[in-house]
Amino acid sequence: MIIRIFLSLLYVSCASLIARADSLPIKIEGAWVQAVPAVADATAAYMKITNLGDASLKLVGASCSVASRVEPMITTRQERNGQEIMGMEAVPDLEIVPGATLELKPGGDHLMIMGLTSHPSEGERVKLTVRFAPGDQRLDLEVPVLRQEPK
Amino acid sequence: MNKSVSELEENPTPNNSPPAIGRRMLLAAFALAVALLVSFLFARYTAYRTVQAKFYGQPLVPAKEAFDFHLVDQNGKAFQLSQLRGKAVLFSFGFTHCPNVCPTTLSDLAKIYRALPERDRARVQVLFVSVDPRRDQPETMKNYVPYFDDSFIGLTGTEDQIAEAAKAYGAYYEIVHDPGQNPDSYSVNHSAFTYLISPDRKWKLLYNFDQLSDTNKVIRDIEQVLGGA
Repeated sequence: MIIRIFLSLLYVSCASLIARADSLPIKIEGAWVQAVPAVADATAAYMKITNLGDASLKLVGASCSVASRVEPMITTRQERNGQEIMGMEAVPDLEIVPGATLELKPGGDHLMIMGLTSHPSEGERVKLTVRFAPGDQRLDLEVPVLRQEPK
Repeated sequence: MNKSVSELEENPTPNNSPPAIGRRMLLAAFALAVALLVSFLFARYTAYRTVQAKFYGQPLVPAKEAFDFHLVDQNGKAFQLSQLRGKAVLFSFGFTHCPNVCPTTLSDLAKIYRALPERDRARVQVLFVSVDPRRDQPETMKNYVPYFDDSFIGLTGTEDQIAEAAKAYGAYYEIVHDPGQNPDSYSVNHSAFTYLISPDRKWKLLYNFDQLSDTNKVIRDIEQVLGGA
């Protein structure tokens, strides 16, 4: 029970996490990383990124304290035999036009975290540095690891 | 060929059109057939709508006999669907190298399973079937699937066994190599459906990836199916 309260407090604090770098007109909300078992070599990071500036930004990738690579991915959905086939595709970047919000979420666009070097459990935090173009603009985040999508 | 030609010559038909009464009867028979077909389709449609109204998931009307797949469980033992006598079964296909869809599906299933009343939990089994048998050995499944809930069982098998199971449930999967990458770091595109089988082994419902996140609605379906609906 105490753990539960602690986790929900943690969630409340992470949901309201708003990151703003001086040079980066960006708002990041509700960032989290999917907790996965030790046998998994990959997981994903999710968040909402709003471009508050006047120029288009591109999310080109990230680096993570517990993985060798982090890349932007899109989820593909196609219909076959009346059933939906889901897959993913690596993309060079995910563009966010001024005023728009890019939603990284389960079953949609995401940052794939590959080559996990350790497997943080639920409630732990990992360092995630997201990178944007043009240029090499970076933003450091501390992101909670969760088993379930926060709702 | 020759025979039919000679037959035609021997029995020339003086009239090309059938007599009036015959034509009327033909018309009546045709109208009757159309009426029967329409009412049959309408009955099917009504039955579908009735079942559809009852459930949140997508119903199979009429419910199909659930294919009794032969696979290998996470302990390396032969596993058949029919082993789970008297239990409702929720299962989906996926693979352990899947970063997005599969952990989400399994987390959703864990949430559903844990929210079930205890008496129902004893009558529900969740399975996760690998579509990547090359990398997903029983050991891998054991280290992956029960992480989401202790009671969940991971299944794998030979390529043929898995292909047979997937085909029976209309599931599809395909290995996608990323050019320039290590040949072992491929991804698998796959159907992200979850299937609900009733305790009497009828394939009742299908849930797509998005539907599974509504825990309470899925639970209502499970309870109806456990209650014999």
